Amino acid sequence: MSATEQHKVVDSRGSFCPGPITDLFKAYRSSQLGDVIELLATDPAAKADVTAWAQKSGNELLDIVDEQGYIRIIVKITKKRG
Amino acid sequence: MQRVVVVGSGDGGTFTANLLASQLHDEIRGGLAEVQLVGEHLEHPFQPGNLDVAFKGASPDKYVKDETELLRKEVEFVQDPAVRIDLPSKTVTTKSGRVLGYNFLVIATGAVADPSKIPGLAEGAMNFHTGPQASHEIWEALQRFEGGTVVVAIAGTPHKCPPSPNEAAFMLDEFFRKRGMREKVKIKFLTPYPRPYPAEKISHVVEPMFTGKGIEVTTFFNVDSVDPVQRKIYSMEGETFDYDMLIAIPPHHGADVIINSGIGDADGYVPTDKGTMRVVGQEGVYCIGDATNIPVSKSGVVAHLQSVVVAHNIAAEMENSKDLLEYNGRINCPMEVGSRRAIFVSATYTSPPTDQTPSIVKYYMKRSFAIIYWRALNGSLERIFDVFFGKTRYPATSQTEPEKPLMMTSASEGGGKRDE
Repeated sequence: MSATEQHKVVDSRGSFCPGPITDLFKAYRSSQLGDVIELLATDPAAKADVTAWAQKSGNELLDIVDEQGYIRIIVKITKKRG
Repeated sequence: MQRVVVVGSGDGGTFTANLLASQLHDEIRGGLAEVQLVGEHLEHPFQPGNLDVAFKGASPDKYVKDETELLRKEVEFVQDPAVRIDLPSKTVTTKSGRVLGYNFLVIATGAVADPSKIPGLAEGAMNFHTGPQASHEIWEALQRFEGGTVVVAIAGTPHKCPPSPNEAAFMLDEFFRKRGMREKVKIKFLTPYPRPYPAEKISHVVEPMFTGKGIEVTTFFNVDSVDPVQRKIYSMEGETFDYDMLIAIPPHHGADVIINSGIGDADGYVPTDKGTMRVVGQEGVYCIGDATNIPVSKSGVVAHLQSVVVAHNIAAEMENSKDLLEYNGRINCPMEVGSRRAIFVSATYTSPPTDQTPSIVKYYMKRSFAIIYWRALNGSLERIFDVFFGKTRYPATSQTEPEKPLMMTSASEGGGKRDE
């Protein structure tokens, strides 16, 4: 990651669909190519939603980690207009 | 003298002021209390009526009444918009420079639909979220439309009235069928969500109906910009679609007075306790409706149900009572799906969505809301609503789960916070 690329943590724990994916999109809107977004969610649907979005949009799903009581989903922004 | 200032004269502000006036009737008559409602406009619109204006040709003034006709006589209406709320000094400053002190404050400043937030959107798209006149422009454009691609796009979340984008697509389909020109029109629905409606159970109802009516859906489409000259809409994800007519739900943010007063979050929404409706960290300050940061539908029903809680809690606080109430997150958003059928998107913080079937009864119930709305604002229909909505509030101290709604249990908008 270069000096200008950012690592953002988006905490959506306690929020249920479509809260986590909406929070991810908010971070995506203000992101640049190379940024990494780490989404924390308790809603299990976030896994499928983020996976489907990354697959369709061409962004890179780096990891999905089951933590104690929540999920950590890590996405690298590799596709964004502008 | 106990002074309550309500800022914002939309659905929630008007109803809260009337409820407080009713509950504090004796105190107000005795000069012991005062209720002031601060608002900008004399015209009070029934906002769901915008869909009728846009897609059924209702007159732009059909769903508008004079604010003063809607208020109880005990309420002082200050038609002078608030420009500053100063919580430490407990004052509200209006545009003309009037400074209103308060003991209790209710923030009901709503959300602002702002097309300028997306490049090209204001120039390239029409909308039915910025008022009856903007909605009328859609109707006029439909009269001139001879065929092509109509795109309905959600250009920002959260937005007022979550079912309204889907309703717009259904109503467009019906409009073109009635005109005998449906085969000349492609209707495209662009949504940032993973499915046609954010709540999965409701999407199970909407998706096959969209398919059956030939309404094309593109998911994960986060609007980046619009080229009004080339008539193209672009997503952040890299997709592009051409359009001949673009109807977009603009991004929303909190009111200017909240942003300028530095009391909102990054989007200008006020951090609010989802139960008591108290502004976080503030005594005697409440927030309701679209102005809050609570992840629940931005809709009139929500503001209405929260108003009941807030009016009760303020009256209780005046009497130094600990008998506060909490709102249970009940939402109830009607969605018209064409052919005189509708569903009700309803849920609570703890009741997830359930499947349902579109019905003609719900359609006529939805249509009747436009009539009873005006009477509902003065509180005279609360007993009926209590039966219809079931239990929507419970004692703040009990921490017990709210009872299930009595009727129409169905679906959530999603995005809410579950009770831990």
